[in-house]
Amino acid sequence: MAFSADIYKAFEDVVGKRNISKDIGIVETYRCAAAQSSAHYGPYDHKTPKPEAVLLPGSTDEVQNIVKLCNKYDVKFKASSTFWSSMGFIGDDNAVQLDMRRMRSIEIDEKNMIAIVEPYAIAAVVQAEAMKVGLTLNVPGVGCSSSPLASTAGWVGFGPTSISMGCSSENMLGAEWVLPNGEILRTGSLGAGAGWFCGEGPGPSTRAILRGFQGSTGSLGVCTKIGIRLHPWPGPTFIPTRGTVPAYKADLPDNFKAYTLCYKTWDDYAKGLALLHEAEILFLGHRQFNMFGRDIKTAMLKILTDTDMQLCDIPELVKDPELKKVNDDMKIEVQVIIAGVTKRDAEYKEKALDKVLEMSGGWKSKFMLEKDMMDYVLLYLIRMGHKNLNYVLCGAYEGNYGLSGNLFVSAKVMEEASALKRKWELEHTDIAAHGGDSDMGSCCIIGGGGPTGWEFFTNFDAHDKASIKGTAEFFNETQRWMTEKGLGVDMGHWNQDLRKENGYWFSQEEHDAMYAKLPQPLVTVYQYKAREAINPKHLCGSYYRTLTPGKYNSQ
Amino acid sequence: MALDDFKAMQERCSNCLGCKWIPFDKIKSQRFGENCPSVCYFNFNTYSARGRFQLGLGILTKDVEYTETVTEAVHNCTTCGLCDVSCKVTRYNLEPLEHNLELKADAVKKGKTLPAQKPIMEALAKEKTMLVGKSKASRTKWADGLGLKDLTKEKAEVLFFPGCKFSYDEKLQKTAQSAVRILKKSGVDLGYMGSSDMCCAGRALQMGFQDDFKKNAEANIALFKKSGVKTIVTPCSDCYHAFKRQYAKLGLDIEVLHTVEYLDRLIQSGKIKFTKTIQKTVTYHDPCHLGRLGENYIPWNGKEKKILNQVHTWEPRRPRYIGAYGIYDAPRNVLKSIPGVNLVEMERIKEYSWCCGAGGGCSDTNPEFSSWTASERITEANSTGAETLVTACPWCETNFRNAVDENGKKIAVLDVLELVEQAL
Repeated sequence: MAFSADIYKAFEDVVGKRNISKDIGIVETYRCAAAQSSAHYGPYDHKTPKPEAVLLPGSTDEVQNIVKLCNKYDVKFKASSTFWSSMGFIGDDNAVQLDMRRMRSIEIDEKNMIAIVEPYAIAAVVQAEAMKVGLTLNVPGVGCSSSPLASTAGWVGFGPTSISMGCSSENMLGAEWVLPNGEILRTGSLGAGAGWFCGEGPGPSTRAILRGFQGSTGSLGVCTKIGIRLHPWPGPTFIPTRGTVPAYKADLPDNFKAYTLCYKTWDDYAKGLALLHEAEILFLGHRQFNMFGRDIKTAMLKILTDTDMQLCDIPELVKDPELKKVNDDMKIEVQVIIAGVTKRDAEYKEKALDKVLEMSGGWKSKFMLEKDMMDYVLLYLIRMGHKNLNYVLCGAYEGNYGLSGNLFVSAKVMEEASALKRKWELEHTDIAAHGGDSDMGSCCIIGGGGPTGWEFFTNFDAHDKASIKGTAEFFNETQRWMTEKGLGVDMGHWNQDLRKENGYWFSQEEHDAMYAKLPQPLVTVYQYKAREAINPKHLCGSYYRTLTPGKYNSQ
Repeated sequence: MALDDFKAMQERCSNCLGCKWIPFDKIKSQRFGENCPSVCYFNFNTYSARGRFQLGLGILTKDVEYTETVTEAVHNCTTCGLCDVSCKVTRYNLEPLEHNLELKADAVKKGKTLPAQKPIMEALAKEKTMLVGKSKASRTKWADGLGLKDLTKEKAEVLFFPGCKFSYDEKLQKTAQSAVRILKKSGVDLGYMGSSDMCCAGRALQMGFQDDFKKNAEANIALFKKSGVKTIVTPCSDCYHAFKRQYAKLGLDIEVLHTVEYLDRLIQSGKIKFTKTIQKTVTYHDPCHLGRLGENYIPWNGKEKKILNQVHTWEPRRPRYIGAYGIYDAPRNVLKSIPGVNLVEMERIKEYSWCCGAGGGCSDTNPEFSSWTASERITEANSTGAETLVTACPWCETNFRNAVDENGKKIAVLDVLELVEQAL
């Protein structure tokens, strides 16, 4: 159903002519291709629906007025800032897309170590501004092109630095939130007029509703500004780099060291990580480069650190006997960074790390100690600026066997999961064949340690329909295996209950049918009640899992 | 190539939207972190390289038609190529700039052009220049009295090719004349194309007029070959790119140098010696077509080959233009060699330099957008504390000359050549 001219004019009056469009070409570029960035519900060979219009609000007032108009005219809406994944796109007809890129302010409160940010202040720029005053933030695994506001208020946001800073959701302070009904709610200390310093009080504490089960993916209204806790940065005000594009390397002082810790067995590896969690010496911990696959990771590291090398060099590089040895040496590994606040602190952390390795039977990869390699790793992991290496091999990726949980459980089945993937690589040609194990992820998904967040990178070709289909089938195969093992939901299926294969959101009836069968359905019943209070017209919030109370009782 | 040939790329673009930023590792501040004038000015995703891939795919699948907005969006790209550099930091198999250019060409083939393009293309056809209102007859007046050899009548080692801007713009003419005097004084055997001199037509290619470009390029190549010159020297970055990268595809095999490269050589070899001190703090703007787009053309003929089941590469190895080997050192060497000159750098430099806004024909087709883009750069230049913005392209210089920063403040704008002449 196309908008009437009156409705369009009403929206136009809010944002101005320059900041709204219903042109067929403009709206086409606000459709998500579910083969490329489905974010754990695809891949599928289709696009999300076309919005009726795209709006670029420039202030909280404008957002509020847009939402009020949506309520007045029963128009669905969805806001996104970076449009990295399907979560940020509309999923219904008669809906408008809000592109938040005009709202991008950053205020660094150095004294209180807080960044107050709007939606389009991406992590790369927040980090750059924070480093100027000796601070930094947790940049989630999705990379520095992501919006800290979105990953803090709407998702979990774990990443390499979560081991020292916690995941993004743990760093959420006060928030300014345009509710789905158009009211503005200021949460935590902000709601009491006491500044941004606390998410829970003395004003209203609504973290559980704003974020939902594991993050509402920003779908309940529009979060327009939040306070984020910053952390000490013991480095220069800007990370100087050397090297030629794209093989930039960091020139950091000696208090920064990047190591790749290697192990013979997964048991040793788990023991080592657990000790690192306890030792609290890491600035950063991430299993990163295994994302390229067990067989080719060192070849890829060679390519990424050399301006002139390309993907076509992989076959020759993997034949290199020296690199083969390194690959074997680094079969089970993890990347860590220590950052000494003082010289003595750096020395202590080095000693403690060596002790952990001794206790867990691990060693430092010599290959990764080479200066250029270490400096590349430092730059990559601290800035997360090359994060889109997710896509380097094929252009499209999806994570499978994502086991966010107990380190000792996930490590135990790593080889079995690798074998499953390797079998698919060999028997089918739908996914990239790079050695089965392509496990990567954060050393912890809660600040300080404990559970880890892994996924197996599965690379496929979004231009090849057979590859898209085959990849989806592989995820189904993984889910069958995980169900058999009692390992829960495969990462490739995490959001399959939130958006249909055709790109549309589910109806309440469809959600009721799904969530009534949950092991703990009362969570979604509670969320239903919360949603009804602030979102009675259901104009947004499809990702906020809800179950109609009566439907549950009737099961 | 046609738009159809880019379908795989359009579908393989990952929607990471790294194409909106300078390489992330290089971001020093929010203010100067973005890279694309088009998406920064118009704001809709449509104007990013990602948006253009989606637009192009939509046109192929008929989900999109050339509305007035779509036509304007397609042409409002300065073809500066910074999205291309950012993309290639992590992607080895996409060519956003080539796609942007092909999208423009598709629009042109379908008659979807902008009103301001018509007189420009008419001027190229009739007067052999892309500057509207200028005549062929007055093109070489700038060279009167300089004693340049006319290469249509006699031989010389080096062809000095000023390009349209240096030929017609009164202020710039003086710079071209300086260049000739400096080169001749240094013993360079220099000539020009005399009455055969005409536009390189590189800007036609940037606007999507592929056929017009090819016609002019082939004519120029024939003239250059006939002249027997060993080297072409140009002070214009647009001409430089046209000859070095685009003409090379059509068979030009003569060495092409920008004036700053030639000056750098002459300074290094002691043929140019400075006698005066220039007490100035300057900042240097890398012209897109000299910097990241100034890499050598490497012939290639091959096809896609998948390895490891689904990893797409090319066979044989395909040249990769990533801005790594653009002309960055030569202009800086020249500036640093001038006594008294203090060079301070802006945040966005070299392969991730912000565009001046003139490229892609935009200074003619959308002056407001183009001027805003220049203003952004002036703001960045003024933030360094420099008193002069130096560049090596007449299109950049002209665009900067008329722009002010976000506070309404101007900055003095000079060509590298002008500083060199002042110090001799």
